[in-house]
Amino acid sequence: MFPNSNYIHPEALVSTEWLADHLIDPSLCIVESNEDILLYDTGHLPGAVHIDWRRDLQDPLIRDYIQPQDFAALCSRHGITPETTVIFYGDKSNWWSCYALWVFRLFGHTKVKVMNGGRDKWIAEGRPLTRDLPERTPSSYSIPLKRLDDEIRAFFENTLVHSHQKRPLIDVRSPGEFSGEITHMPDYPQEGVLRGGHIPGAHSVPWKRAVNEDGTFKSAEELRKIYQQELGLQLEDDVIAYCRIGERSSHTWFVLTYLLGFSHVRNYDGSWTEWGNRVGAPIEKKENHG
Amino acid sequence: MSHYPKKLANIISLFESLSELERRETLIAYADQSKNYSPKEGEVFDFEDVRKDEECTDSVGIYLKMDENQRYYFKIQLGPHVQTLTRAMSSILCKGLNGITSEELQSIPQDFVPKIVGAELIRARSQTVYYLLTRLKTASQVWEKRLLRHATQ
Repeated sequence: MFPNSNYIHPEALVSTEWLADHLIDPSLCIVESNEDILLYDTGHLPGAVHIDWRRDLQDPLIRDYIQPQDFAALCSRHGITPETTVIFYGDKSNWWSCYALWVFRLFGHTKVKVMNGGRDKWIAEGRPLTRDLPERTPSSYSIPLKRLDDEIRAFFENTLVHSHQKRPLIDVRSPGEFSGEITHMPDYPQEGVLRGGHIPGAHSVPWKRAVNEDGTFKSAEELRKIYQQELGLQLEDDVIAYCRIGERSSHTWFVLTYLLGFSHVRNYDGSWTEWGNRVGAPIEKKENHG
Repeated sequence: MSHYPKKLANIISLFESLSELERRETLIAYADQSKNYSPKEGEVFDFEDVRKDEECTDSVGIYLKMDENQRYYFKIQLGPHVQTLTRAMSSILCKGLNGITSEELQSIPQDFVPKIVGAELIRARSQTVYYLLTRLKTASQVWEKRLLRHATQ
């Protein structure tokens, strides 16, 4: 845990050391969620289950998340109850673990944490991995009454209004994507977007600014300097974050919501793959409001 | 399946017979073998093309040799951040394409990738699995142009 961190919700983070001491704790479920689809199969934390960002969390036929009954089935399959504390970790500095955590929050599961530094830090510290699949007893997870789309998720229409009203809009992609010079992430192939640029009025704050070299989150003081001093955001501001498909912006959503204590942050998961292709959607190029 | 080289066709045939779980396990096994298909210390090649392209997660090194019968033998060196699927594909390509001619290499279509990987695993953020074959083809083309230039000088 991070009791002296000055984060507003230090309980939302656990250290690799803490988790190593709590691998066998029936009140916990450790979840690995990665970009690399087969990475879990090559070795994972002892006892960890795998949640795949597309297969497990997204509807197979509609661009949307699974429905409450699917979420309940997913949790039941992994032996998760509403009282279970779910600890997420993964590759890519925890992009996908924050994404999975955000989806859990969409369904009202509030007992969620992230292992600071993710999979890479665990491995760098020489901690054990296994290929053994965990044997978790299936649980009975009540079907959530609804998905909390109105609270922590933004859709195109919400974001358009936000842009028109010049409310805080954070583009967490790389500077090249923001300016429109490139239409893919550095080091990634083009993923099918027609136009480069950003949502009018968006501020560029790449997700990476929130992490240290080892993938751990920066200190509360450093994060406040970025988001509150440089960007001028207030804790009560209505903020929308976006990237390309919503995973990097989940990371920033976690930082703002849990580490800095912003009260109203939404993730626009349609992000640039929707906005950049959408007929009639206005874009800006090059200007940096950051 | 006649348009694939025999060794690659055998691998494709194997994957097509597997269940989804077996397919994943076999891909992991191939990914585990990828170091066996990277160049050994002191090994000499006719041509090396090591680079990190803007759109790839990490560096990929293509090493090729051509024997007296003008057949290719490949090794592939992958950086530490390359995804597991791409690691698996490097082993599959080295095993499946070694000993093929230039003509055979250039005529291989990309459509074998989903036959091996399966539709479930081909998705956004895994497209670089297609990239290795392109790099092998490009390396051989550059090498052959260099050979031709030397021959005409």
